[in-house]
Amino acid sequence: MFELDQRIAEQLSTISLNSSVQVRCGNSNAFMVTASTMLPLMQMFEMGGVYISASRGAVEIIQAFESIGVDVSNIQFIDLVSSGILGGTDVTYPNIHFVDSPIMLESVLLRTLYILRTTTTQRNFVFLDSVNALAIYNEDRMLAEYLHTFINTFRQREVLSVILNVPDQTPPLVLSNLDLYCTDLVDRGQVVIH
Amino acid sequence: MRKNITFDKEDEDFFGQVGSFGVPKFDNEMHGGVPRGFTMVAFTETGSGAELFAKQFISPAEESENTLYISTNEAQPEIVRVFKKYNWPLDINVRTIGEEYNANVLERELLASRYRLEGFRLEDIQRLAQTRFVEDSTQDYLTEVTNEIMALGPYFRAGIDSLDFFLQRDDPGRVVAMIRMLQAHTQMYRGLLLIMVSVNGLSASIRQELSSIADMVLTFGVRTIGSDFETSMIVSKFRNAPENLKMLVFRVTPEEGITPETVERIA
Amino acid sequence: MNSVELGETIAVQAASTYSRDRCVTGIHGLDEILRGGIPYGSTVLASGTCGSGKTTLGMEFLVRGALAGEACAHFTATEPSVKLLENIRQYAFFDMNMVDTGLINVFDMDVLYSWLGLDKSTFDLDDVHALIKSITDIVNTIGVTRLVIDSVTTLCYKIKSEQLIRDFLFTLGKKLATLGCTTILISEITSATENAHWSSFGVEEAIADGIVVMGDVERMGHLLRFLQVVKMRGTSHSRAKHAIELTPLGVMLTPMLKWGAQSDKTTKWGA
Repeated sequence: MFELDQRIAEQLSTISLNSSVQVRCGNSNAFMVTASTMLPLMQMFEMGGVYISASRGAVEIIQAFESIGVDVSNIQFIDLVSSGILGGTDVTYPNIHFVDSPIMLESVLLRTLYILRTTTTQRNFVFLDSVNALAIYNEDRMLAEYLHTFINTFRQREVLSVILNVPDQTPPLVLSNLDLYCTDLVDRGQVVIH
Repeated sequence: MRKNITFDKEDEDFFGQVGSFGVPKFDNEMHGGVPRGFTMVAFTETGSGAELFAKQFISPAEESENTLYISTNEAQPEIVRVFKKYNWPLDINVRTIGEEYNANVLERELLASRYRLEGFRLEDIQRLAQTRFVEDSTQDYLTEVTNEIMALGPYFRAGIDSLDFFLQRDDPGRVVAMIRMLQAHTQMYRGLLLIMVSVNGLSASIRQELSSIADMVLTFGVRTIGSDFETSMIVSKFRNAPENLKMLVFRVTPEEGITPETVERIA
Repeated sequence: MNSVELGETIAVQAASTYSRDRCVTGIHGLDEILRGGIPYGSTVLASGTCGSGKTTLGMEFLVRGALAGEACAHFTATEPSVKLLENIRQYAFFDMNMVDTGLINVFDMDVLYSWLGLDKSTFDLDDVHALIKSITDIVNTIGVTRLVIDSVTTLCYKIKSEQLIRDFLFTLGKKLATLGCTTILISEITSATENAHWSSFGVEEAIADGIVVMGDVERMGHLLRFLQVVKMRGTSHSRAKHAIELTPLGVMLTPMLKWGAQSDKTTKWGA
C-alpha cells in the first residue's frame, strides 16, 4: 500500500504562487516525495503544470503515477532523458515533449515557457526532477546560474517552481545557491522509517 | 539494331519510287523527281526565290496530315496567302517558329522594358505576388522540331525554312547531330525532307557537314545581268545519279511559281 | 518653483525621455532586447548560419505586423515561395489567410528577375537600379511597412562589384526608410562564432542600421541556437547572446547562460 506524506500537503498549503520550493529527498523515497508533492498541487489546489524529467524517462514517471491510480494526463512532461536512447521518443503519450539533452538548459526553460503560454489552467507549477540529475551533465557554475534564472523566471510569472533534489548527490556550490534562491524547503532528505 | 519498317503494298503503289519536287519541269530534269527517302539541303542566297521553292516543294502534299512545313521567318497569314495564290492545298500542317518565338520571347522582353522604365502598377504587383514559378523561357525549338518530324509516318513530306534560326541559337554541332537523325528517319520512312539554309554567315565546316549528310544538295543563287536579275539553282549532289547534276536558270511565273528555263549540265 | 527652474527641468526630461518611434516586432523577447522594438525605417541585417532560424524570424516579423494590420512583403530568393509557405504553415502564428488577403505579399525573386528581364548571371548598374526601383515601387504602391529580403546574400551574388553591392544596399535602405518601411535583410554566413564577419560580402554590415546575428553554440555535441543584437542605431539594446527556440507559437528567446555561451573547444560550426 502506497502511503503519501501528508505533511508535505500541509506545508504546501502555506506557500504562494511566486514561491520556489526546494524539495529534498533521498534515493529510496524519491517517488513517494514526488507524489506527495504533486498530488496536492494537482488535486487540492487544482493546478496545471509542467514536469521536467531529467532523472528518468517521462513514460516511466507517468506509469508510476498510473500505478498508484493518479491521472497525470493534464500535466505536460518535458523529457530530457529519452532522446539519448535510440527509440526512446517513440511514445504514445501526447503530453510528453522531448528536449535533446539535459545540457540544453535554455531549451528546457524556453520549452517550459512555451507550454505555459499554451496551457489553459489559471494556476500552474513547474516541477524540476531533479537538480542532481542535471548535475551529472552540467558544470557546477553553469547549473547554479541556470537555477538562478529558472527560479526568478517563474517567480516573476507567478508560476510555482518545485525543485527536487537529492542533497548528497548535488555539488556543494549548486546546493548552497539553491538554498539561497528558494523561498521554501521541504526536507525529506533522510528516509523516515515508520 | 536497325528498325524494320513494313510498308503497305497499296502505299508503295500509290507513292512510287520517286516524289515530285512540286515543279514539273524540274521533275523532268531530275528524271522523274526525287527518290523517296531523300534528305535535300538547299543553300540559299537572299532574293534567289528559295522560300517559294520550299513552299512549292511542300505543295504536292500526297497525304496532307503527313505533310509538315516549318517556317522560322514567316507568319501563318503570309504562308496562307502564297498557298492560296498558287492554288496549293491549305490543309497541310504548318508551324511558324518565328511567330512563336516573337510571341514568347520578344513580347516578354518588351514587357520587361516597360516594367524597368515605368515601374509596376498595382495590378502588376498583385499578379507578381500570385506568380509562383518562372515561365519556361528556354524553349528548345530544335528538339521540338526534330521530334515533330520524327513523329511523321511513312512517305511523309517535310520542309524546314530555314535552318539559320537554329544555327544562330543553338550549338551548330547539336544542329548537325539533329539533321543526321532526321536524315536517318527520312531514309527509313521513305520520306522527303527539304532543309533550307542561308549561305551568308554559314561556316565552311558546317556547310561541308550538311552537304555530306544530304542525299541531294541544291544551291540557289541570284545575279544581276544588266538591269535584270537572274535566279538559278545548281544541283551539285544527287546520290547515285550524277547525271542529274545541273545548273538551271529559272524565273517565277504567276501560274507555276518556280519555272526552270535553261539547263546546263555540269557533270 | 520659478519659471527658469521649470524650463531646466523640462529640458532635462526631454533629453532623457526621447525615444524614436518603434516598429514593435512582436517576437517574444526580441522587443525587450531592443528596448521596445526596431526604430522605424531601419534596415536590419539578420545574419546567420544555416538552420539558425533566420527565415522563421523574418516570417514571424511579418506575421506580427500583419496581425496589427500592417502591409508586409517578403522577397524570397533562397527557396521557392510555395516551399516557404508550406514550411511556415506548421507554425501556429501563421495564417494562410494573411497571404490570400494580401496582408503578407510573398514574391519569388526568380519571378521578379524574369519579369525584369534579369535572366543573366551577373547584374550591372542598370539592372541594380531596375531592381531597386521595382522593390521600392512595390513598397510604395501597396504601402508596405515591413519588408524581408531572404536572402540578400543570394541576391548580391549576382552583383560582382563590392562597390555596386554597397550602392545597391545603401540606395535601397535609404529609399525604404523614406517610405517608412522597416526592413530585415537576411544574410547567410558560414560562422557566427569568434572572428566571424556579420555578412557575406563585408559591406552589408557597414550599411545596415542594425545587425542581428544568429547561429549555434556547440555544447557537448549539441547545438543550441542563439541570437545576438550586435548593433542597432537609434536605440539602446542588450548585446548579450540569447538562446532561441523555434516553437509553434514563434521564436522564443531567453538570455543564454553566461557559463555556457561559448562553444566548447574551438569548434566553429560550418566554418
